[in-house]
Amino acid sequence: MKLTHHSHQSGFTLAEILTAMAIAVVIFAAIITASLAMQKTFNAVDNYFATHIQQIRIIDYLNRDVKRALICTTSADQQTVTLTIPKYIIQSGDAEAVSNPSLVGAMRTPTISTTTSGFQVNYGTTTSTVVYSINGASILRTEDGVVTTVASSTDSLVPKDSDTELTNTEYSTMAVTFLPIFTSGNAADERTGTTVFSLAYLRNKRRG
Amino acid sequence: MKVSFIRNERGNVLLCAVCTIFVVSLIAANVLLNCTARYNQASNQVRSWNEALYAAESGADIAYNEVRKIASNPATAFSAANGWTTSGTTYTSGTTTFGTNGLRTNETVDLFYSDPTSGNAWYRIRSKGTSPLQGLKRTGMDDRLSNGNRFAANGATRGDGDTLLRKIDFKYDHFTATYGPTGDGTNKAIVAVSPAPQLSRRIELIASPITPFDDVAIKVTGNFYGLGSAAYIDSYRSSAGPYDPTVKTKPSDPRYVDSQSGSVQIDNATATIMGDIYGNLYTNGGTATKKTLNVHGTIDNNVPFTLDSFSIPTYLPAPQASPSNVNANTTITPPAAGTARAPTMYLLTSFTKQLTINQNGSSQTYVAIHLTSDFTGAIDVKPGVHVQFFIDGNVDVKARDLINETGYAGNLQFYSIPPADGSSQHININSPGDLVATFYAPGADFTMNGNPDVIGAVIAKSFYGNGNTSWHYDRSLDSLGDVTDYRIASYVEDIR
Repeated sequence: MKLTHHSHQSGFTLAEILTAMAIAVVIFAAIITASLAMQKTFNAVDNYFATHIQQIRIIDYLNRDVKRALICTTSADQQTVTLTIPKYIIQSGDAEAVSNPSLVGAMRTPTISTTTSGFQVNYGTTTSTVVYSINGASILRTEDGVVTTVASSTDSLVPKDSDTELTNTEYSTMAVTFLPIFTSGNAADERTGTTVFSLAYLRNKRRG
Repeated sequence: MKVSFIRNERGNVLLCAVCTIFVVSLIAANVLLNCTARYNQASNQVRSWNEALYAAESGADIAYNEVRKIASNPATAFSAANGWTTSGTTYTSGTTTFGTNGLRTNETVDLFYSDPTSGNAWYRIRSKGTSPLQGLKRTGMDDRLSNGNRFAANGATRGDGDTLLRKIDFKYDHFTATYGPTGDGTNKAIVAVSPAPQLSRRIELIASPITPFDDVAIKVTGNFYGLGSAAYIDSYRSSAGPYDPTVKTKPSDPRYVDSQSGSVQIDNATATIMGDIYGNLYTNGGTATKKTLNVHGTIDNNVPFTLDSFSIPTYLPAPQASPSNVNANTTITPPAAGTARAPTMYLLTSFTKQLTINQNGSSQTYVAIHLTSDFTGAIDVKPGVHVQFFIDGNVDVKARDLINETGYAGNLQFYSIPPADGSSQHININSPGDLVATFYAPGADFTMNGNPDVIGAVIAKSFYGNGNTSWHYDRSLDSLGDVTDYRIASYVEDIR
């Protein structure tokens, strides 16, 4: 048997292999680092978006309730809003529902009364009280004792509310901010940059 | 045996490149997926939810416009030509589509209350606005909230976050399925929405009648001069007791709140105000001169308004055969007590002497008079009688000729019908005597001479009065007289 040897058969030298491995390590390190950075960036953007959606939700919730409210009151620290809202729907425990449970969930026909400030449209003899407040990382909406978590975030969502009374009406302003998970060092500016602002008028004549 | 070695094997480089591209693509796809979902929620769903309210409120405006026609031109209100169907006192609209996003609205209006005193109707407007949802059929990504179902066809079992707030109908109408089409729990059905998905919001408004003498003692569209420097205008509520001149300066008195509505409203920049006004003063871009510091309420110089013209109400019955004029002193006792909406009607061609109107038995008696010429006579309204006096011409009388024995201004209401040709019209009330009456004369110049004690209200084109009058607006006039317009008195949203 005759073995044939190819001429010019050559391999890598140790130096070449070490150089190639070093370059490969650098390239893979860059790829992994870039991937991690992209992932972190994605998380940051995703988190920002998710919290932003919660900002909008807080404002939409409050605006909806302010528009149909009779009274809007803001606490001194601007973080608790109390609204008085007509009881449009008969609820369990209401006088009508006690005498006739089948009425639960039905819409009320309003009654008209005369007050010192003129005519008044009443849905039932009582009103609902809705309170927006902060509890830890959550924004809560409490209607007649029933709590709904409107938003929840570890990004320190902070609503700042105020209400201004006019002759017959009232408007409420709200600015919701949060602190993104990545900041450039100036947290105050970062928070300010996330501000979402809204203003809503009571559609009803203000009472009280 | 011959063994061959293949040179230049480079497959591992290609594999690495493919793997790298695959990993990067996975990350990119994940980013894209999440961003799309977030965008879908933050942009499309939020926008559609808000636009659904715009649609509902636009629908309510459409319905409110029809309600206002009841006051201004009843024959054209809720007409079939505009797509309305009528069933008794309930009116239902067709579907109105508008906007570039295909917003839709439907409305229902019903008469739900009639004022027992004036007979004026209150209307309830229910409007539904619908906005097609653009973008993906996706629920939100409320990964921060996980207390319940993200989406459920039955609205009562919905979960949290956006689904609890916005209630998107992805395929079926959750409201009809859960509460029925009208929301009263009847006729529940699974109804597919089209186009799907979509968002709907429902609001209910109450339109209340505005009456001629609503919350103002004197209201003019033109010049105002008055009253005398020692005069005053205050208010009281006759249903809460007789007038007491001391109440207006006693805040501790429970009737005090009713004493501060002696307001004057002027749709003019020129207003010469004298005397004390225990109420508000409104002008249209003007500066009130003279003793404006004696306005005890608010001065607002940016309150423009218009006065609707006036015509004989269409609901009045056919007139009695006699009398047809009052050219001699005449006494009438209406054959029936009637109501505010169905009074006993008299049509007079001239009125130069005294007309005395008696009560029908012991019943509150309602009378309407239409005079087609000038009024220069006298009228005596006996207790228990309510008179609406419609006059085509001018009024020239002494205050003592307007005898209102009821003591309530609302029981003697004068309405001057503006001449069709636009010619001038006037009402002159001369001394001596006091006055307990109301005047609605949007086309007339009103002049009051002397120092009468007045209980009532005047709505006119202009006003001049230089006497030291004590004028008391009766807040019970708020609901008296025929409706001149409607206002929105209540707003609720059905958030189910």
